Amino acid sequence: MGAQREGSSVSTAPLPAASDAAFRQFICRACGYVYDEAKGDPDGGLPPGTRFDDIPDDWACPLCGVTKADFEPYVAPTVKRAAAPAATWISAGRGRHDPGVVIVGGGRAGWQVAQALRERDATLPITLVAACSADLYDKPTLSVAIARGLEPGRIVRERAADAGRRLNVRLVPEAIAVRIDTVARTLRTTRGTLRWRKLVLAHGAAPRLPAALPPQLVWRVNDLAAYQRLRAALAPRPQRVAIVGAGLVGCELANDLALGGHAVTLLDVQPRPLAALLPEAASQRLLAAWAALPIAFVGGVQVAGVAALADGTRRIALADGRAFDAEQVVAATGLAAPDRLARSAGLEFDRGCGGIVVEPATLRTAHPDIYALGDCIAVGGQASRFIEPIGRQARAIAAAICGDGDPACAYAPQPLLLRIKTSSLPITVQGEIGGDGDWRVVADSPRELRLERFDAAGHRIATLVATAAAATLPRAS
Amino acid sequence: MDAVLVPAAVKAGSPMPAAARAAAAADLPPPLDGEALLAAVRRLAEGPLAAIAEAVDRQGRYPEGVLRELGRLGALQCHHADRGIPGASADYGLAIRAMAEVSRVCGATGFLTWCHMVCGLYMEQSRNPALGGDVLRCHGRALTMGGTGMSNPMKSFAGIEQFLLRAVPDGDGYRVSGTLPWVSNLGDDHYFGVVAPVVAADGTPQTRDGAPHEIMFLVHCDAAGVERRDCPSFSAMEGTNTWAVRLTDYRVGPQQLLADPARPFIGRIRGAFVLLQAGMALGITQGAIDSMWAVEPQLGHVNRFLDDRPDALQAELDALTARVLALARDPFETDPEFFIEVLDARAHGSELALRAAQSALLHAGARGYLMSSPVQRRVRESHFVAIVTPALKHLRKEIARLSTPAMPA
Repeated sequence: MGAQREGSSVSTAPLPAASDAAFRQFICRACGYVYDEAKGDPDGGLPPGTRFDDIPDDWACPLCGVTKADFEPYVAPTVKRAAAPAATWISAGRGRHDPGVVIVGGGRAGWQVAQALRERDATLPITLVAACSADLYDKPTLSVAIARGLEPGRIVRERAADAGRRLNVRLVPEAIAVRIDTVARTLRTTRGTLRWRKLVLAHGAAPRLPAALPPQLVWRVNDLAAYQRLRAALAPRPQRVAIVGAGLVGCELANDLALGGHAVTLLDVQPRPLAALLPEAASQRLLAAWAALPIAFVGGVQVAGVAALADGTRRIALADGRAFDAEQVVAATGLAAPDRLARSAGLEFDRGCGGIVVEPATLRTAHPDIYALGDCIAVGGQASRFIEPIGRQARAIAAAICGDGDPACAYAPQPLLLRIKTSSLPITVQGEIGGDGDWRVVADSPRELRLERFDAAGHRIATLVATAAAATLPRAS
Repeated sequence: MDAVLVPAAVKAGSPMPAAARAAAAADLPPPLDGEALLAAVRRLAEGPLAAIAEAVDRQGRYPEGVLRELGRLGALQCHHADRGIPGASADYGLAIRAMAEVSRVCGATGFLTWCHMVCGLYMEQSRNPALGGDVLRCHGRALTMGGTGMSNPMKSFAGIEQFLLRAVPDGDGYRVSGTLPWVSNLGDDHYFGVVAPVVAADGTPQTRDGAPHEIMFLVHCDAAGVERRDCPSFSAMEGTNTWAVRLTDYRVGPQQLLADPARPFIGRIRGAFVLLQAGMALGITQGAIDSMWAVEPQLGHVNRFLDDRPDALQAELDALTARVLALARDPFETDPEFFIEVLDARAHGSELALRAAQSALLHAGARGYLMSSPVQRRVRESHFVAIVTPALKHLRKEIARLSTPAMPA
């Protein structure tokens, strides 16, 4: 080879002159063999310099035997080695080293566990597997990004690779966890199989989509990537947006997109928004606050179907025969944890609320070495899909895994403090949340609505405060 | 030994007329079932097949006698609804276990077993009367032999490569042209199933009901317009009668059609197609574990320093086998989660076979490194399980695709 190269520099070889049109390459679609016009295929009767166009039709690929017609032009791509995920990629090596803790999930719950474990043990091997990029962001921000003037591209707080370095966590991003093998003690993923000594499930919940809403026509906003795609679709101009489901996510999103100038139709089977969380008076107060925004609430309706019209508009048909047209449809119809991993490991799963059953104090599942937290769990028959408990759950798991059994870290569900981030009327509820029951108005002024909820014995069990925002008008654009 | 294994009528050479074949099928002893079948397959594998496994690997000998005998025993039609056993129904688990017994001794013959079985799957599920009845019964008993050219189509459906064949409508059928690089288990009178996209005479791709239109059909090697060409040497698979096949205006009539359009058919059989392959992985893994135990008395004192020990591998293999057999109870289940399970079980089989074969080589040491040793042959066979369509990377890509929910464009 070396001699040939030197030879060609003095140019005595009977090769076509360099002034000829550049030699091209063609790749076999069947086997990947590259035909280089400069080299030809001497064994196949094609001397160096034979142009592809001059190859006879009965010539066969020297590697696999297909014909010339199965070749296509080829330009060798240049690969930037630095761009490969070498820094974060790990192999599932099966040596005798401690595989440590594997965390499934790159959202807040996953990172909180990683941090809590690292605070307790500086050397414990920690691997975090995420279906997404695992970049860190605050999910509640997705409900108020427009109100806060936050561009979708600037919601990420910290890149996953930086967090991984900061916490000495090995990262396996863009990997879908497929199965837990409790015999081999491995986690099977689409990027390889990982061993674990302890496994923590923090994979969250997925939107429940009613059969009437076709997934290819309806957005679900449960992660940053989906939110960014929705915002990109909305970016060109104000549009009509239909949001199905007037729960927490539906109302917050309706409020924020309306602030962005979009005409929102908010649909729900209940006659009022947030019916499962708030008493009637608070719902009415919210509707009144929305009067200044382009939000039309349509309650007491069932969506029968969604279809795409010829111009791309979506038509939402209601069971009562009415129809609404919109450029975008968003489903905010609740969440359920996927049961794939739990099922594969034989873990108990609560189908009612859609969560993996855990022991409350330690967050341990039915398997002694598998824990779970965050949106994917059920405690006492209840899913808890709020931010606040996650940090305490993560510390409880870290204490259990690191073996010091610190009783101060045992997890105990606490009465929630729920903040509803409808920026035209932010609402705070503390205590036992629920739309029904004995709610009494304590204060009612244009500035503030305050209610208290009492149980059968007359004890106060919850307090609600709805405060008119300083500025509820759309921001000047 | 072939004299014992090959039925006289078959050994005569030239293909039998269909009527004679049907009579020959009727003359065969009743097929075996269940544990009796598996015991007979094991005897065949450990005896005649073990004796020729090295020749299959090193000299490219096609194990025709063993395949014919597998058919005679009833091992190649366990997954057919009509398998000549009163009251019995299709048993995919039994088919996989029989394939595993073969693969445990010779991976190449295990692969041929799969090729033939999956061709039977196409024929039976096509519900084409011309490919059922006596024709399917003769196939099931290996009086005729079939293979599969679905590697390119499966990769095309997955967006990994482009279709290599083209079908142009022609009266009540099609004319198909193009070249497939590697089709296994072929012979002068063999046939195989394959898919081609339908194009107009000017090459424009055709659609049906708004979807791309493909057909699936059988190619008979002895038909006009079919030419087989040698292809390069294949690691561990030299004995599999693998050829490049060039079709030139090959005529597909109603008698050859497996499915038109092909997509719904592929969607229905994909679980069974992939799941059957697990038999190769389970068998090669078991063969590797067998060879680890074989050297344990002499080398156990030093092999205990190795990572993947036979007891741990056996536990993992047993759990995977149970998983595969559970999935095999109804391989036509249509839930996407079921197919993801099938893909992952197949992927686990590939990974386990790679690890087991490699560890077996480390356990055996130099004696396993001899070219004549089944231990190093199995390393190459395990590589094949991981790259044959659907390859490990293809499986993972498909799982990722099926796991990602659709969203508005």
